[in-house]
Amino acid sequence: MSPFQTETSHRTAPAAAGLPRRSLLTTAAAIGGALGGSALLSGCSGAASASPTRAVPTHGPAGRPDRGGTLRIARPPASDAETLDPASALSAYEYLGALYNRLVRIGPDGTVAPDLAESWEPDAKATTWTFRLRRGVTFHDGRAFTSADAAYTLRHILDTATASPQAPVLSPLVDPKRLRTPDAHTLVVPLKSPHAEFPSLLTHYNCYVVPDGSARSIGRTGIGTGPFRLESFAAAGPGRVTAYPDHWAGRPVLDAIDFYSVADMQARSNALLAGQVDLLSQTNLDFATARVIAASDRATIARAENAQWYVLPMLTTEKPFTDVRVRQAMKLAYDPEHILKAALQGAGTAGWDNPVPPNDPTHTAAHPAHDPEQARHLLKKAGHERLAVDLYTSSYDPIFTPMALAYQESAGRAGIRIRVKTAAADSYYTQIWMKKPLMATYWYTGRPVDQLLNQVFRGGSSYNETAWSDKEFDALLDRARRETDAGRRRELYGQAQTLVIERGGAITPMFADRLVGISRKVRGYAEHGFEFDYLRIGLKGA
Amino acid sequence: MLTFLVRRVVSALGTLLLSSVLVFLAVQALPGDVATQVLGRDATPDAVAALRKQMGLDQPAWERYGHWISGALHGDFGTSLVTTKPVGGEVAQYLGNSALIAVVTILFAVTGSLVLGIVAGLYRDRWPDHLISTVSLVGMSVPEFVVATVLVLAFSVTVPVLPAVVLYGPGAGTGQLLPAVWLPAASLAIVMAAYIVRMARTSVIDVMASEYVTTARLKGLSTWRVVTRHALPSALLPTLHVIALNVAWLVGGVAVVENVFNYPGIGKLMLSSVQNRDLPVIQAIALISAVVYVLCNLAADLGSMALNPKLRTRGGRIR
Repeated sequence: MSPFQTETSHRTAPAAAGLPRRSLLTTAAAIGGALGGSALLSGCSGAASASPTRAVPTHGPAGRPDRGGTLRIARPPASDAETLDPASALSAYEYLGALYNRLVRIGPDGTVAPDLAESWEPDAKATTWTFRLRRGVTFHDGRAFTSADAAYTLRHILDTATASPQAPVLSPLVDPKRLRTPDAHTLVVPLKSPHAEFPSLLTHYNCYVVPDGSARSIGRTGIGTGPFRLESFAAAGPGRVTAYPDHWAGRPVLDAIDFYSVADMQARSNALLAGQVDLLSQTNLDFATARVIAASDRATIARAENAQWYVLPMLTTEKPFTDVRVRQAMKLAYDPEHILKAALQGAGTAGWDNPVPPNDPTHTAAHPAHDPEQARHLLKKAGHERLAVDLYTSSYDPIFTPMALAYQESAGRAGIRIRVKTAAADSYYTQIWMKKPLMATYWYTGRPVDQLLNQVFRGGSSYNETAWSDKEFDALLDRARRETDAGRRRELYGQAQTLVIERGGAITPMFADRLVGISRKVRGYAEHGFEFDYLRIGLKGA
Repeated sequence: MLTFLVRRVVSALGTLLLSSVLVFLAVQALPGDVATQVLGRDATPDAVAALRKQMGLDQPAWERYGHWISGALHGDFGTSLVTTKPVGGEVAQYLGNSALIAVVTILFAVTGSLVLGIVAGLYRDRWPDHLISTVSLVGMSVPEFVVATVLVLAFSVTVPVLPAVVLYGPGAGTGQLLPAVWLPAASLAIVMAAYIVRMARTSVIDVMASEYVTTARLKGLSTWRVVTRHALPSALLPTLHVIALNVAWLVGGVAVVENVFNYPGIGKLMLSSVQNRDLPVIQAIALISAVVYVLCNLAADLGSMALNPKLRTRGGRIR
């Protein structure tokens, strides 16, 4: 699979493989048809079938796992040039959380939680951050973890030779030459400009801590401080990690994890149904397949709630979306609840055009109600009374087309005519994304609010898929970063969300639960955002 | 005979050259290139330009083609733009895995479908013929991924006797791959067999109605002897070409089935290379497929000649 697609597989718009997705709809439909139900197809026609959620469980099996055993995970390979270097755009994502730790991670409540850093505090103006690091932590080769490793990790990410996707986020803030390590367990990070949410940027999965000086070897050795250590790894092939007994947070429940790369989603589902693997990683199963799996006596479905948000980005630099009234009309015209029901069978939360997930502490529900009449009115004022636009989708993700068709139907009631056009899946993100004025895409949640808003909505940023540029919005983000009062800062992020909803170019109909296929033996599966609990997951009867 | 052979070989080489040019042009026409695919969304235009230069993508297409074809003639297919390993060794490894499927498929499909086709032809318009013809018609109409999915449901999920997917990478040994060969081979054999069955049936019917078979029967030969000694060789003739085409298809067209089974074969490598825009790998696979295709056709022609007395003698003596 292309590195590019990998790159998107967990970070931005996911999905590992162009082709796997190509055969997916057809095969899924074939299975669904064969077993007498195709929820996906009824979703396509815009008619939500009667409470199909009943067929798909909302949680994985309950209970405690037994100690030991080997968990077998099927994952989409990142690329034929995969590496274990966490900072790389080609990193094999599933290995990272097993092999490494970060300084900080995102807790289940959406706040920044300790990992290798036990505590952190800014100076009065939030221009210098001091991290106190955990003691008694060792790398898998026995060496002690110190502040030198933490500082080296940051320098490695910022090194242009690494070409890390997180470098553009951190480099405007961090000067690698000014990092200080006053003692073995203190890291001081002076910032180029104040940032009260700086630690949240280090929760990214490119920020896993690697040993000092390991840039050349880390891609093969995978030496970290994580709960598992590397036994074998082959790019786009199989690999194995085994429990690291000296892990600082205790030994993991499992003895080992086997990773297998399976590019095609249908093949991954088949492997689960046949009992060859226990968990499908990075796989948002479509509803028809999820029902087939849930009906099996070997496997079932667990959910990562609101794991991704779906978007119809409007390029604000292309007509007719240059006119803010048209953008507002496009948002008022459709009913998010309808799209949620039709495209996801209700397995998620309505987005109401705000990309900040409902479980994020800063989330603001400041949306106007669905109002087709007001949409018509705005379009008339803008001189686009009979608006007709092309909406691009592809089979890259199974939800794109159902979402586009549901939007078409919903917006049609407000007099907007949408022509749904299907583009090739494997060049979708190079030829359609950020090039066509209106298309379908999605992102994984788990991005802290500061990174989300700055990366995807700030004028001029590389992931700004709507090319929206609003000085007031950018200024709000700057003010929020400087604001050291947490309550005040939350308010500012709230105002920024309101601007995204009122003026921005992103139609955000919904957050989708990721439907994860797991074996009925799996216990303790927990995943949110980019966090996966490798420590407590285990097997019953292992 | 000799002129025929020379003419066939020359046209085969011409076909190869032409297909290499066509493949090269087709790959050029794909949207996006390896530099954009490798560097992903975050790439700055400068970085893409630098990588393009490093990969030699800034040179004109005909120059790259010339460079590639001269290397290929010396057995050097260049290095993969993605893994930076030599293309030749990589392709050979995947090709070897696919060959395993191919051998099993051919054994299944060719022997099985020939027998069925002959039976159907001999029992024309009676129940064995109806049964075989209907089943082969179904096999012909159903796409291979559906056949594969049904086989997986039957033999991996409902009665778990065979693996649904291959979990090993391309480096897997024959012992590891062997249990995983049967379902992909069966899927391919079912789709492929249908054509051979129908062709064999028609040939047998034609031959059995011919004058020399009638003569042979009038001479008092047993049905068995008539069929094996006189009818079969003639009936095999037209079938040979269908078999050859199917074998060629097998090598070039297993992509879908290999993907469903995650089988580390040439079809899967082709797909990921196209997605990655890994030009040297795509070109090498395409060229190899063309070679196999041409060789299969050549073999079929020579086989026909060996079986057909008329063709055999037209260009001169063979023995």
